[in-house]
Amino acid sequence: MILREFRDAGISAFRDFLAQCREEPGTPYPHYLLEDESLTSAISPAIEVAFTRLTTKADAAHYLSSLLGPLSDRSVAANAGLWTWLTLYFFDDVCPPKDGKRKVKNDYYYIFEPRNPRHFYRHLLFISWHILKVAPEHNRLLLSSRISVLDKVTSEVLKRFYLTRIPCMFEVLDRLYWDDSRRRPRSGIVTQQKVTPGDLLHRLPIRIRQLEKTYDLFSLNADQMIELLGDEFQRERQGATAN
Amino acid sequence: MIKRLNFTGRRRIPRDRVDIEVYDGQPRTFDAAIDLDGTSLPSHAAVFLEAMCAGSNAVERFHFGEVGNIVPPQDRCLRELDGKNVFFALKIVDRNERFGRLLGIAEHIRPQRAGKQTAAGRRGILPVEPKELRQRLWRLEFTDHEVYLYVNKDVPELVDRVRTDPLFYAVVYPEVVRRVLMQAISENVDIEEDDDHWPVLWLRFGKNLHPMRDTPPTHDATEEEREEWVEDVVEAFCKSHTVRDKYIAAASGNGSGS
Repeated sequence: MILREFRDAGISAFRDFLAQCREEPGTPYPHYLLEDESLTSAISPAIEVAFTRLTTKADAAHYLSSLLGPLSDRSVAANAGLWTWLTLYFFDDVCPPKDGKRKVKNDYYYIFEPRNPRHFYRHLLFISWHILKVAPEHNRLLLSSRISVLDKVTSEVLKRFYLTRIPCMFEVLDRLYWDDSRRRPRSGIVTQQKVTPGDLLHRLPIRIRQLEKTYDLFSLNADQMIELLGDEFQRERQGATAN
Repeated sequence: MIKRLNFTGRRRIPRDRVDIEVYDGQPRTFDAAIDLDGTSLPSHAAVFLEAMCAGSNAVERFHFGEVGNIVPPQDRCLRELDGKNVFFALKIVDRNERFGRLLGIAEHIRPQRAGKQTAAGRRGILPVEPKELRQRLWRLEFTDHEVYLYVNKDVPELVDRVRTDPLFYAVVYPEVVRRVLMQAISENVDIEEDDDHWPVLWLRFGKNLHPMRDTPPTHDATEEEREEWVEDVVEAFCKSHTVRDKYIAAASGNGSGS
């Protein structure tokens, strides 16, 4: 199928489907929306989108990065119709049915809102592509989870733009919080109820906010940043190594 | 206890050391003249200008050489910034003794001159930005640098009418003042500080409006104390702008619209 983007009416139709699916979880997949000329328009230049299975965010990130390569990153990042159309195309991966029924979450997981700072990073397909763009390396912490969920680690990092714009931050995150032996983020780093020294949810954002008053964080490499973060993060790092 | 402390020796650089002009275009571009003569900053320290704008998380960064040899970069395009309210930060960064340490900073620098796409000159305390807000007409956005009044861009001329339409002004602005002041109190700043951080400006504004010129309550004051002070200011705001009278005149068709 040729890659398309939803017009406003197409996004509305998809939104209606999501609402109906919440009421009746067995609502059939509305494949006919994908090529309806009144609801969609073809992307130029023409791009063939394959039928492929996307299991993890890493799968999605690499496939979408390749698929959308002919388009400018800036136009892709601002295109609500494109990302929403892609979500419908890959809906069985993004919102997989179980026993013929889907559990549909909030619209912002499926309908891309590029200008909404509280919602844009929650779009399940866009965020995978975006992570690979801002972190071509050191991204396994954020790309290892399933495509159908927005895990706490990813959302806590991506919603804080002051973190993601620091060039060395993804390497720092990887070195501090990736559990190499279990090939997943370390446990206990995003526990809401408990503040742990050096954790990602509470302590890292506070420490970065403190450091940016004193340092130009854009100038630092990962070694320098980890050293500046202080002892509680050194212990976190040692814990990561020991695990 | 005031939370904004500076133990670092970091020097605050007066904003008038930086003169910026933003030119219309797709993308916009800018020129900046940076004067660091007599500041006694180390000549080898790096000089950066960072550009930001309301409603965007993007920060565009430009390397202007060193304190002793300021050289504007060839590329001064603002590619990532779409909003009208563009502002800049100047950072002087140690590259020798303690790598990356901030030696000097000037924040919230507005362009002195600009084309039609960009706001220039002295700023108000509540910049207005048109935004996609679906069925909402307005909302407040608090950022590190500013507080913005977002208005629905899909309502014709609303962005131009927010300050002049007596109906909108009467209904919306007293509530805006109340919410911003409540948030400003919780930011825990010192209003005597030589700063134009938005909570400082808003609390000074509130103090000047307050009928007794009472100093704003601190962040650890009781909820009741905060609300009492803020309500007094909102009352004074409405009185000074004769909000009710203008509303009645506008609603009955006699409003001047200004």
